[in-house]
Amino acid sequence: MHIVDGALSNPVVIAGTVLAVGGMAMGLKKLTLERIPATGILAASFFVASLIHVPIGPSSVHLILNGLAGLILGWAAFPALFVGLLLQAVFFGFGGFTVLGVNTLNIAGPAVLAWLIFGPMVERSSPRNGAIWAGIGGAFATATTTLGVAFSLMLTGDEFIPAAKLVFFAHIPIMVIEALLTGAAVYLVRKVRPDLFTAVKEPAE
Amino acid sequence: MIRAMLLILTLAALPLPAMAHKVIFAVFKSGETIEGELGFSNGDMAPNARIEVFSDTDEVLGEAVTDADGFFLFTPTQPVRHVFKANLGAGHIAETDMSAEDVADILGVAAIASETSAAAAPVTTNTGTVVASLSPEERLAIAEAVRDEIRPLRREIAAYREKNDLQTVLGGIGYIMGLFGLYFYIAARRRMQG
Repeated sequence: MHIVDGALSNPVVIAGTVLAVGGMAMGLKKLTLERIPATGILAASFFVASLIHVPIGPSSVHLILNGLAGLILGWAAFPALFVGLLLQAVFFGFGGFTVLGVNTLNIAGPAVLAWLIFGPMVERSSPRNGAIWAGIGGAFATATTTLGVAFSLMLTGDEFIPAAKLVFFAHIPIMVIEALLTGAAVYLVRKVRPDLFTAVKEPAE
Repeated sequence: MIRAMLLILTLAALPLPAMAHKVIFAVFKSGETIEGELGFSNGDMAPNARIEVFSDTDEVLGEAVTDADGFFLFTPTQPVRHVFKANLGAGHIAETDMSAEDVADILGVAAIASETSAAAAPVTTNTGTVVASLSPEERLAIAEAVRDEIRPLRREIAAYREKNDLQTVLGGIGYIMGLFGLYFYIAARRRMQG
């Protein structure tokens, strides 16, 4: 899921960085005092989740949890996931520094998209239906991330369809796990702390 | 919040055998050729991968293909720095190099080896005669055997270097908490002043 240093051409890296900086600025603007603790916790869970590797055939894939981060944080998912990615690059050499922008965009972008599309449905429906919508959102975010990765590689010169197929199909089990996990987490939060969504979601825009 | 923290902590306790999905790519001297290995840090090797070899000036020196175990051989012809590049698809690329001195050493390996054995033979006694009595073929066979023996060791070291300790994971979580705590502090101060 993490593109490494040197795999992408310069224009792709620069464009990705610019867009990621835009997302970060937007995220920091929306990151009010009330949201900071939740953002930190989701950054930490993203950081850890990426280390759970699930062996799939000859390769292995890992959880991303960007759907969950997006649904709870909205735009604030950008700084949260950026911090997670930054520390993964520092500690484990996942990805790299030059591609940090592209990776942030590929992971936080779908998170925000999932929030924009499925967020309102999760909030409006009952906890049970909300959990189902959240599950769909979680799978959607992962799927969109794989497409983003394939798209970045395509812009550099790889063929889109084989690359996308490879990344997408390898991540189908992950999408299922993400869906279950996101659904369960949102259900739990709605049951235990229903105000987390409203308190975190409703600060003055 | 306590329950949320508990949830996070249980999640955090799960991933013990954590490994980075990185490409391991290394080359080393192997008699008169350059031997290399290509694989992922989780122990999977990369079979049938094409490796391109370039010089310092981006001149193509040749290419090699890995065998079923992710190993490849490349016989250098010029004593220049060799840069090896591999592309495993899906954004997994790797690059490594061998310095000009090492390559020159490989190219001149026959001459240097015969000089040292000639020089060593008269000085040493029992063991020296044993070494001197070895034919070049036997030397190569021994070198080959030693390389085969240390190969798993080398791979293990490479894998070990990529290992993520629980300490590192916890340290990372600590950094995240600290960063957000700091941001919380700054945001809170700003609000207090405002």
